[in-house]
Amino acid sequence: MSELKRTPLYNAHVAAGATMVDFGGWEMPIQYPTGIVAEHLYTRQFCGIFDVSHMGRLIIEGPDRLKFLQHVLTSNAAALTLNKAQYCIIPNEKGCAVDDAYLYMFDEDSYLLVVNASNTDKDLAWFEPIVKNYDCRIRNITGETISIAVQGPESGKLLAKLAGVEEVTVPARNNLSILDLEGHRTWISRTGYTGEPIGYEIFLKNEDAEWAWNRLIELGAKPAGLGARDTLRMEAMLPLYGDEMGVDEDGAEMPIFALALARFAVSFDEAKGDFIGRAALEKQAAAQTAFREKRGTAADLEILPKRVRPIALMDRGVMRHGMAVYQNGEKIGYITSATMIPYFKTEGEGAEARLLEETGKRAIGIAYIKADVLTNSEVEVDVRGKRLKAVIPLKHVTNNVPPYVIPVIAHN
Amino acid sequence: MNYPKELMYTKDHEWLKEEDGVAVIGISEFAQDALGDVVFVNLPQEGDEVVAGDAFGDVESVKAVSDLLSPVTGTVCAVNEELLDSPELLNSDPYGAWIIKVENVTDKEELMDADAYEAFCAEEG
Repeated sequence: MSELKRTPLYNAHVAAGATMVDFGGWEMPIQYPTGIVAEHLYTRQFCGIFDVSHMGRLIIEGPDRLKFLQHVLTSNAAALTLNKAQYCIIPNEKGCAVDDAYLYMFDEDSYLLVVNASNTDKDLAWFEPIVKNYDCRIRNITGETISIAVQGPESGKLLAKLAGVEEVTVPARNNLSILDLEGHRTWISRTGYTGEPIGYEIFLKNEDAEWAWNRLIELGAKPAGLGARDTLRMEAMLPLYGDEMGVDEDGAEMPIFALALARFAVSFDEAKGDFIGRAALEKQAAAQTAFREKRGTAADLEILPKRVRPIALMDRGVMRHGMAVYQNGEKIGYITSATMIPYFKTEGEGAEARLLEETGKRAIGIAYIKADVLTNSEVEVDVRGKRLKAVIPLKHVTNNVPPYVIPVIAHN
Repeated sequence: MNYPKELMYTKDHEWLKEEDGVAVIGISEFAQDALGDVVFVNLPQEGDEVVAGDAFGDVESVKAVSDLLSPVTGTVCAVNEELLDSPELLNSDPYGAWIIKVENVTDKEELMDADAYEAFCAEEG
């Protein structure tokens, strides 16, 4: 595996006994000795830290940077003000995803765009002929910086301790700040890929990598690998490029509005002008709205044949990527991501909700199925030759009331 | 890694112990470590026939699913149903958490003793 890239935290992962795997050309920890289940639960209960330094970090700078971003991203970058971040998708002309990304404005003169590790080269090649037409440039700082996702109910307290303050001054989701943590300059963003209502992604210089990692562990955080990152994002219905975005099992491109969260990632604001894929995306958006309002027609199905939906297995078993999904004997799609995912049983509701000691596990995941399938309808999944009962719930978790992610358990 | 001397092992990382003509079958510590967190097991039923080298069930970890291959041919006479609710016992106590017991054994896979199996695992890394 000598040709694989390594992050500055590679030695720390190996020393901790991590199982290292090839992930998008990077040698990354899939899990530590405690295992994926423990790492998942610890993140939901306390705080997990994830090395996400492999993700592509691109600086967009120059006078035309906003015009360029408005053209190549789905979001309204003009609405982004200093110290804010927004989720966005990089669309092609057909309204399908080249990649998904997060756009950050840490200073007045540039933007930071974070893209998927395995797509970084592809994204740069995609931007290259376009950026030539604008007075701006893209600088790849992936190799000079590191990034750690600090996620879970206690994450804010740990960062506040390092900052020497009562509370980290980035209370709201998608807000940013630059702080000196025990003298180490840290770019902090209240974002994440776990569904945690409290979670941060921090960016540091390479030389501060081990310091940040080890100090967070000293304060009680535990390292979590790509395995737990995957189960956490699945439970929170966050898409992964390659599974819920990109091309489907037949090699067809998946429309961006197959994703429910496209509504928040795509802006048709006038300020955006005629961005890449706009015309196609407007049609997709109308079709998605029609299906959400249960009035989708055959014409809508042409534009948006399938949608990405949560799925929960009711019979005993485990669903996996690629398994076929049926309704009334007809194949309606397939599983894009699924496994057995652990959860804390809970007590109380809303802000009063708390996690109990007792845990459970459930076979849940994400499916790409015919766009007109109704929420709460019953379907069947072909689990290694057996048709097992499953349902299409509204969601797998509730996470709008900090500090805890509350599982929503599906029933027949 | 632990390789109890009183057990025999297969190349597929199952262990086998014979008690009064009954073969007790489980998975080794090496197997559970490679699988990661076991979250589900599919088991046969009492009375089912199993064939040496063929799958008699499967274990699912968070990451993947793996077949359980029978080291013997015979009839299932007991199934460890505790594993249905607590599959994680295969991780925490692989040599205590037997999976099935087989009687009327007529055929056996090639088996290794603990020393040979330890050397085999060292090669597999």
